[in-house]
Amino acid sequence: MKDFIKVSPLKLLELSKRKELGRGNLGALMSRAGVGKTACLIHIAFDKLFHNKKLVHISLDDTPDRVTSYYNVIFSDLVKALDIKDETEKRMLFERNRMILAYMHHSFEIKRLQENLRTLVDKLDFVPDCLIVDGLNFETAENSTLEGFKAVAKEFNVEIWFSALSHRHITDKNQKGIPYPCSRVDDMLSMILQLNSTPTGVFLQLLKDHDNPVKADTAVRLDPNTFLVTQ
Amino acid sequence: MAEDIQKLRNIGISAHIDSGKTTLTERILYYTKKIFAVHEVKGKDGVGATMDSMELERERGITIASAATFCEWKNHRINIIDTPGHVDFTIEVERSLRVLDGSILVLCAVGGVQSQTITVDRQMNRYKVPRLAFINKCDRSGADPIKVNEQLRARLNHKTALMQLPIGLEADLSGIIDLVTMKAYYFDGPFGENIRIEDIPENMLERAKTAREDLLDTASMFSDELMEAVLEEKVTDELVYAAIRKGSLAREVIPVFLGSAYKNVGVQMLLDGVLKYLPSPIDVKNHALDMDNDDKEVEVSSNPDAPTLALAFKLEVTPYGQLTYLRIYQGSIKKGDDLINARDRKKIKVGRLARMHADKMEEITGAGAGDIIALFGIDCFSGDTFTDGTLRYSFSSMFVPEPVISLSIQPKDNKSEVNMSKALNRFVREDPTFRSYVDHESGETIISGMGELHLEIYVERMKREFNAEVETGAPQVAYREAVSAKADFNYIHKKQTGGSGQYGRVAGFMEPTEDNTYEFVNAIKGGVIPTEYIPSIDKGFQSCLKKGRLIGFPVLGMRMTINDGQYHSVDSSDMAFMQAAIGAFNQAYAKAKPIILEPIMKVSVECPSEFQGNVMGSINQRRGMIISCAEDGIFTTVDAEVPLAEMFGYATVLRSNTQGKAEFTMEFSKYSKVPESIAEELKKSLAEGARKGKN
Repeated sequence: MKDFIKVSPLKLLELSKRKELGRGNLGALMSRAGVGKTACLIHIAFDKLFHNKKLVHISLDDTPDRVTSYYNVIFSDLVKALDIKDETEKRMLFERNRMILAYMHHSFEIKRLQENLRTLVDKLDFVPDCLIVDGLNFETAENSTLEGFKAVAKEFNVEIWFSALSHRHITDKNQKGIPYPCSRVDDMLSMILQLNSTPTGVFLQLLKDHDNPVKADTAVRLDPNTFLVTQ
Repeated sequence: MAEDIQKLRNIGISAHIDSGKTTLTERILYYTKKIFAVHEVKGKDGVGATMDSMELERERGITIASAATFCEWKNHRINIIDTPGHVDFTIEVERSLRVLDGSILVLCAVGGVQSQTITVDRQMNRYKVPRLAFINKCDRSGADPIKVNEQLRARLNHKTALMQLPIGLEADLSGIIDLVTMKAYYFDGPFGENIRIEDIPENMLERAKTAREDLLDTASMFSDELMEAVLEEKVTDELVYAAIRKGSLAREVIPVFLGSAYKNVGVQMLLDGVLKYLPSPIDVKNHALDMDNDDKEVEVSSNPDAPTLALAFKLEVTPYGQLTYLRIYQGSIKKGDDLINARDRKKIKVGRLARMHADKMEEITGAGAGDIIALFGIDCFSGDTFTDGTLRYSFSSMFVPEPVISLSIQPKDNKSEVNMSKALNRFVREDPTFRSYVDHESGETIISGMGELHLEIYVERMKREFNAEVETGAPQVAYREAVSAKADFNYIHKKQTGGSGQYGRVAGFMEPTEDNTYEFVNAIKGGVIPTEYIPSIDKGFQSCLKKGRLIGFPVLGMRMTINDGQYHSVDSSDMAFMQAAIGAFNQAYAKAKPIILEPIMKVSVECPSEFQGNVMGSINQRRGMIISCAEDGIFTTVDAEVPLAEMFGYATVLRSNTQGKAEFTMEFSKYSKVPESIAEELKKSLAEGARKGKN
């Protein structure tokens, strides 16, 4: 297997000052609908899983079956793209280290998430290193929700990556240059990445790097099919 | 005749256990005047619902075997197959789906989409069965049919068309609003047989208008004509019916009906829906395999005058004798006809034929394409195809899962021994997932099937129906062996015992395959082994797969490659090379690092969210791997993969862990390697068992 980290979208973080989101922190990956937000988020998940880290995928929209299919499809792409020989072992590794928690029909509450994570730790000895949250509506999310996630990140000593949906027709940015909707809550987010599809290719750009200044062109180019970094 | 077929519906009623499908069937039979009194499942009158024909089913209040029945509604004929809800009996569900043209998916308005619903839905997808949904039990406390409709969309990924709204809910359920006719329907009389149609209550009018708009939005996706009519505000009921029917037959939309079978609300409207939105036999394309043409798939016509083609989908022992349920796909069957069984080419004569109504029957003289009938005294297996002899067609074999659990049984006395044998012979013919054989080493009779409950039911049926009392051993998991490394072999089989001897040398290697299938590769060059002996070598290898050398269970596939060998012009023979292959296999097997594989079950537990921790803990204790956990309101579904060996008695544990509020389903997922420590213990205990068996 070629080194995944060399082609993982998280390679972008090597261009950041701190090189990581870090435990206890929240980060967001934003893009418009259909660009590949969930796929890119799952690549972040695979980056963690292939490093033998434990990951909880929290879905607020999709059923576990659908989340599992996303992982399976992306894993199949990775097998081909990275020439993974030990497919069965790699699959076992990621299945063992991944847990999917789905909250259907608006049944998500921070309190329930905390209880569920405690159950994972206490009953299953599944101590997560990273949470992936897909489907949180950043347009309506209250500060209190993000504060709740921050508390979760601290309590369980995990980093949390969110997907955030932006819109073509809303081009607003806040004073720090963070686009809507992350602009509403960017104080709570330590890192913000933006996935852009342009005529010249798909780029993952770093918009916020903790409290460090970010150069406008801090980005990596991704293969539009595999979402792996291209040269 | 074509018109007759258009007025025929072959439907199944499938659902999660306890969602009220037997009660629903009972009401359907009552309204179609097939029965004249209504009895409840586990009813106080002790009669039991009509479709639960077996004594055992009546006692347990669940439906085990499919019972087929026939009824008529508004000048249409409907064949109904009532299907079991428990996952252990899914072969019954699979069989009925194979022969049916449409189905009613019954859901509980409180429980909604549950794990078993998902399993049944998946099966319907496999057989491409169009269906209606009936959200039952709208009278129950906590009923929320609108949420269940949402679950159908979200959890089963269906596009749904909500055809109705309830008037009141829970104890206040009083009627149904039809969103096509925009009228309110009330069900008067002791069993709701008198339908009163009125205007929609004022306080529900706005809601009904909004829901109708949603319905028209959905329906117009299947009809440009309707879409135009919507824009021009000239929608007619017929246009809506036609559009929904088109979507339903194409399996692109599921019309959703509401009601309460128990409270006699909405069942007649559901029956109207069956006629309007489910296919007749000519709306469905069926295929058979042409055995004279390399099993090429051929379309079957619903023409009653074409050569006869019928499928035996169920066998049953009844007080009238052995009964074979047939679905006629093409042509017709009349009393006195000769039919040919495509499997063994044996001719049978059609004696009595009947339409069945649970455990009562109605004799008929003949039936045509599309119909479901029962024949008496036919000797055949479930899944056999019958033709009139002019065609050599067979229906593709139904998907039959391999059994995952075994049990040894011992008759208690001589009389039971004879009866047990009769019973086993019958069950094996009835149910392809049920197997029975005698273990020659231990002399024990072994039965195997799809789960603990599956086998338990058969043991009870032996006692009740065949008067065969048996003692059962501990359940035994169907382990498998496999090799995990490549190993060479080079074996000479040589024997000289007077007369012509035996000689054969076989060399090559064995190696694991990714998909566990057996492959034989002949890489012999220069004729060092003559071609005529090659099949015997293959046969020799395959004979070794039946019983592994590690723990005596079958060996899953591997690739056997032969690349060298030697023969003797006088002493070599098929037998000699077969023996050489067996010797070569044994020589390499131990070197190929054999491992033990165990069946892993996909387990889905549904429980109130407060018990989620207990459920996860119980799975974790069973070497289970939790895949996901989905919360939906107050319910949580935990999906996991758990070794079957750890699942014995889980129902009891789950009950005590969740105050009886959780339930689970399981189905076979895959074979996985048994962890080293457990494999060692297993080897010891199996060796111990074998020793005891010999003593």
